[in-house]
Amino acid sequence: MVDHAGHPVRLASPPERIVSLSPSLTELLFALGSGERLVGRTRWSAYPPEAQAIPSVGDGLDPNLEIVTARRPDLVVFYHTPANAAAIARLDDLGIGSLSVRLDQLDDVDPAVRLLGRVTGDSVRADSLADAFRRELNRLRRRSFDVRVGALLLAWDAPPIVIGGGSFLSEIVHLAGGRNVFADLRQPSATVSIEAIAVRAPDVVVLVEESELTVAGRPEWETITAVRERRFVRVHGSEFSWPSLRAGQAVAQLAGALSTGSP
Amino acid sequence: MTRWLVLIAAVAAILLGAVALGPAPLGVGDVWRGLTGSAEGPAATIVRDLRLPRVLLAFLVGGSLSVTGAALQALVRNPLADPYLLGLSGGAGLGAVTAIALQLTSPWAVPVAALVGAIGAILLVYRVAVVTGSVLDTRVLLLGGVVVGAFAASVMGAIMALSPAPEVRNALMWLLGSFGRASWQAVAVFAVYAVIPLSMLYGLARPLDLLALGEEPARFLGTDVERTKRVLYLTASALTAVAVSLSGIIGFVGLVVPHAVRLTWARLHRALLPAAFVVGGALMVIADALARTAFAPLEMPVGVVTALIGVPVFVLLVRRWAS
Amino acid sequence: MGELIVRADAVWFRYSGAEADAVRDITLSVAPGELVGIVGPNGSGKTTLLRLVLGVLQPTAGAVEVAGQPVARWSRRGLARLVGVVAQREEPMFPLRVDQTVLFGRYPHLGPLGAPRRHDLEAVQNALDRCDVADLAERWVDTLSGGEWQRVRIARALAQEPKALVLDEATANLDIRHEMEVFELTARLVRQEGIAAIVVTHHLNLVARYADRIVVMDRGAARASGSPGDVLRKDILEEVFEWPVAVTQWGGVPQYVPLRRDESGADRAATP
Repeated sequence: MVDHAGHPVRLASPPERIVSLSPSLTELLFALGSGERLVGRTRWSAYPPEAQAIPSVGDGLDPNLEIVTARRPDLVVFYHTPANAAAIARLDDLGIGSLSVRLDQLDDVDPAVRLLGRVTGDSVRADSLADAFRRELNRLRRRSFDVRVGALLLAWDAPPIVIGGGSFLSEIVHLAGGRNVFADLRQPSATVSIEAIAVRAPDVVVLVEESELTVAGRPEWETITAVRERRFVRVHGSEFSWPSLRAGQAVAQLAGALSTGSP
Repeated sequence: MTRWLVLIAAVAAILLGAVALGPAPLGVGDVWRGLTGSAEGPAATIVRDLRLPRVLLAFLVGGSLSVTGAALQALVRNPLADPYLLGLSGGAGLGAVTAIALQLTSPWAVPVAALVGAIGAILLVYRVAVVTGSVLDTRVLLLGGVVVGAFAASVMGAIMALSPAPEVRNALMWLLGSFGRASWQAVAVFAVYAVIPLSMLYGLARPLDLLALGEEPARFLGTDVERTKRVLYLTASALTAVAVSLSGIIGFVGLVVPHAVRLTWARLHRALLPAAFVVGGALMVIADALARTAFAPLEMPVGVVTALIGVPVFVLLVRRWAS
Repeated sequence: MGELIVRADAVWFRYSGAEADAVRDITLSVAPGELVGIVGPNGSGKTTLLRLVLGVLQPTAGAVEVAGQPVARWSRRGLARLVGVVAQREEPMFPLRVDQTVLFGRYPHLGPLGAPRRHDLEAVQNALDRCDVADLAERWVDTLSGGEWQRVRIARALAQEPKALVLDEATANLDIRHEMEVFELTARLVRQEGIAAIVVTHHLNLVARYADRIVVMDRGAARASGSPGDVLRKDILEEVFEWPVAVTQWGGVPQYVPLRRDESGADRAATP
């Protein structure tokens, strides 16, 4: 068996002590019922609430291997990115199993759940969850909308950082009946000039957990109609922070907010 | 006289050209109508309320940084001096990062915090450099600036390491400088504020010529050296502090433009300072236009563009100087 | 304006934190048309005395007056219109042309906004001519030889149209011809135009032939002061410079010859 980094998974038996270095993967492990086997999580792993009880091992990117190995794991689960290659190599030297899972888009949720399930020995549960997710995703994708609301997904205001087509949030917006005005950007996020935002004339500004006050006060943002008319949409919850099995809930929340236009 | 007219005409052309450029695909007609105020609508709004203030702010900041760079090079008698040498950029960065980390919501929170940080750094370095009585030792000034800047940078690093992740990345972006926050308000604030320091620096043009010879020759040629140094330092610092608080830290312009102007235009400050202002302003306008159009709709930090332009220009200048 | 250009009256000075006085009870006066030489070994206080006279340092006791007014009451600009100073060394950081450099001598006379007038340009040309650097006017100062650079700086001081000229070891890098020309020029300015000159130098023999008076300094005090004949004496010189010398005459002015080790004791000087 090979993980998403092409790295062979070497485990004699299902792991008993798992450290998860990604909040999205922490959530999936809990969903698979492997929560009791988690002995370490990153400081950002906020969901589910039970995850807070597990000791934190610090950051997931560029992890502190000393703290990780102090938890005596037999498996360390990584979010798949080339930046983790060095840490994985070190764990190989130490004889600790590692697993890299890709989880960037909604399409990645299904294979991620199944891979984790095979590794933890919960394949039955995994397949059931993945099938249900796939059905819901297909149902959402089949919906059509007469009018799509042009949405600016704003991550930061100075400099303006927007969410691009490379992020799963772009698809969440699409499924909720909106249209990410920067969907043509391939990056998950990018710094753009205010002028570029003005020319794309979004109908609403979607803020994830951010206060709109910083944007609303600035004179140069007043050139954006949606800002001038205070058409802000706020959404909450970690289902907007990473691709997860709760994507349907995220879509529903955003769709409700877009239709009422309420913050 | 004619060469000044040519210079000003060229710079005016550059400013107009910059207003015509941008990620929004506007035609020349749109731009013209937006400038002359004969149209409403999104195109006119972009031209009048986004591009024009941005171009003007870039011009003012670029010009101010060049003038202070020239003045500081004469003050510390070091061709490598630039406006950020005196530690104030570290102070400004620390102020800004603190405001971001505290998640202050007012839109002016970051600029004001950066200004406070910069002024704090200026006063600290000044205090350190005033050795006995009121004598300002320029060597201590240089060292003090480096030390205060390094200290502020390390505190900044600590704040950033302990803060949640998005704030860290975004604080770094602010530091690299941008004119994206330009608005007519910002232009007005800076223009009104900058008049006094710029006039004072121009009034010190002859003392600057003499100070560049050395403190003793300057003194014996009639300069009140201590008073001139004090006024120069405080004026240059105040001007740079406001520029940094509005647009972040943008390097190379204050360092390279004075040298380029010295080699090609004039060496005496009565001509050098105005020429540096105009050339530095134009350079900054060009850099900002490139920053927002080269990879549209993405926007690069303007400090990156000035470095990319500034380093080869600097190498050319050094070679010309050495020959 | 009083009769004397420079007057120092019983001046004492000690650097803060120092154990001994750098200048002890010096009284000095220089009138228009006088050339005064100040000599002495290194560390004897010549430079300190100069800085006291020029108002850079404030004496711990005693008074210094320039043109009849206490030196501290003069603005630097006012002083620069009266006194031109040429130091031994100057390093130009941003090189300029020679004519631009000499024009700086007019700065004390220019208003902050005014441009140089015809008189200023004439003064500059005059100074260039008198220092024999007129043909170097368009040259960049970092291309000049040490001697040429020194003469340019003397020209700059002359461009100030000063009443007094202070040369602080200003001929140190010059060859014989140019050093002589500087002394000749200074002497001519003193005699014909009534300028006062203070010349600090190591070249005791030369200044003796031009000076009206010489002050020999030793450890901060004036060991001797008077005409060259009074001051260039074997006993005084040997005491101050701590080296055996013989004193001879040339054109009515004493000249000293430092002796080699095997010569001491054999006094070859014929003192008429």
